[in-house]
Amino acid sequence: MGALRLFHDVIDAQLVDRHQEKIGRVDELLLELEEGKPPRVATIVIGGAARARRVGRWMVACHRAVHALFGQHEEHESRVQFEAVRCIADTIELDVEADALDSMHLEQWLATHIICRIPGASGERK
Amino acid sequence: MKKWGELALGIVTSIGGFLEVGSIATSAQGGAEFGYQLAWVLLLGTLSLAMLMEMTGRLAAVSKRTYADLLRERFGFRFFVVPLVAVFVVSLLVLMSEIGGVAIALQMASGIDFRWWAIPIALLGWFLLWRGNFSIVEQGTAMLGLVAISFAVGALVLHPTWPTLGRALLPSLPSHDHARYWYLAVAILGASISPYLYLFYSAGAVEDEWTIEHLSVNRVTAGAGNVFGGGLAIAALVTAALVLAPRGIRVEHYEQIALLLATPLGRTGFVLFIATLFVTCFGATLEIVLAMAYLLAQGFGWSWSENLKPGKDARFSTSYSVLILLAALPIALGADPLSLTNISMVLTAASLPVTVVPLLVLMNDGDILSSHVNGWPSNLALVVMGLLSLVLLVAALPLQLLGGG
Repeated sequence: MGALRLFHDVIDAQLVDRHQEKIGRVDELLLELEEGKPPRVATIVIGGAARARRVGRWMVACHRAVHALFGQHEEHESRVQFEAVRCIADTIELDVEADALDSMHLEQWLATHIICRIPGASGERK
Repeated sequence: MKKWGELALGIVTSIGGFLEVGSIATSAQGGAEFGYQLAWVLLLGTLSLAMLMEMTGRLAAVSKRTYADLLRERFGFRFFVVPLVAVFVVSLLVLMSEIGGVAIALQMASGIDFRWWAIPIALLGWFLLWRGNFSIVEQGTAMLGLVAISFAVGALVLHPTWPTLGRALLPSLPSHDHARYWYLAVAILGASISPYLYLFYSAGAVEDEWTIEHLSVNRVTAGAGNVFGGGLAIAALVTAALVLAPRGIRVEHYEQIALLLATPLGRTGFVLFIATLFVTCFGATLEIVLAMAYLLAQGFGWSWSENLKPGKDARFSTSYSVLILLAALPIALGADPLSLTNISMVLTAASLPVTVVPLLVLMNDGDILSSHVNGWPSNLALVVMGLLSLVLLVAALPLQLLGGG
């Protein structure tokens, strides 16, 4: 691929980990600004707060309210270096493990504390 | 050979999928109050839905991605919030109505008040979603949904006057009660063209791993299937016109709709009506819950598939589990299923612009569809649909106030 259209091809794209497991979408893309160097695409952010900031203040307030409702004080957000990108096609593959990402907190919490305690939840395919 | 199987299945799915509580209730009300006159609205709704399903199916078969997925990716999260919230709210209301429809069917069969059935229905639905895979949900409800053909039998037994019905397929103005007429027209359109139908359909195409090879299956499914399904809704309207209108009965309870089949077919008709109401509403319940969970999971990029064990897509399976129970609560607390149905059909009609208009952009995106982008006839039809949806958005609430109830 010659050129990459960040707004078209990267922002909001589906992310998968190195085992092709879906791990969210590109919620925000950060440039790194360093004195004396040109800006550089550096970080992919996955997380609700980043997503809410893109919509506006009211969405940030909603996001906080939902967090407060469930007694969550920590923001579970993942920041992945752009160097971890392995492949950009219909999805963007990152060289990471889904389980190691902080943004997968809710998925893991629901899986271990609720879903997998109900019979019939474990295994691969139905 | 496999292709033909899929084709037959597709047609069956659309027949079974078209008729549900919304279509049955609004067609019955339309027929009872205006005879055949609103048949053209059902025709318009059927053609529109067929077109939307063909397009979202084509989008999924070519790009191997769902409509919700592309809505988020191509329009960004800021825009995506709008269809997400709109579709979510109206689908939740429609879901409550469907659970209400199943509960009423069980009340008619057992004599036990419908409120007691809401939670057991939700638990049964949840169990099927938890244990079953996508084809069980899709094919099971489709096969059982064929019982809805009894509406066609009922209409034929009553000997409709064909020339009058034929003329009613062209739009005409009412001689009385203008506000009520247009209110019912909007409700019928909302019942025919529900966003959950094409969101579910496009996710289903990805679940079934459709490719470009399936484009012909897609065309036939969306086209023929919906024409049969819409035909059954017209049959319901015809029976209402011949059974309820002459007796001056206005539909105020679901029990009255049972007359549609009980009058031409007697006791068997009564049983068939209960079976049709139960099966089609229960099928729609499963499809709507899944469509809502798909919308969330695809929009946020979570792992999702009805073919995976729930532990593999915890957020997706939590979503459908919570939603189906949540939607059963108002019915358990005694909300009136028929008023809920009417309101949700009108709001569905009002929500259409946010899912119809973006399709015009996606269906012309060569990056996604390459040579399978829309031709000018499809685009023209989509523009007309988009304009119609904007009219519905503006007209829905005033008509609810003037013509509802």
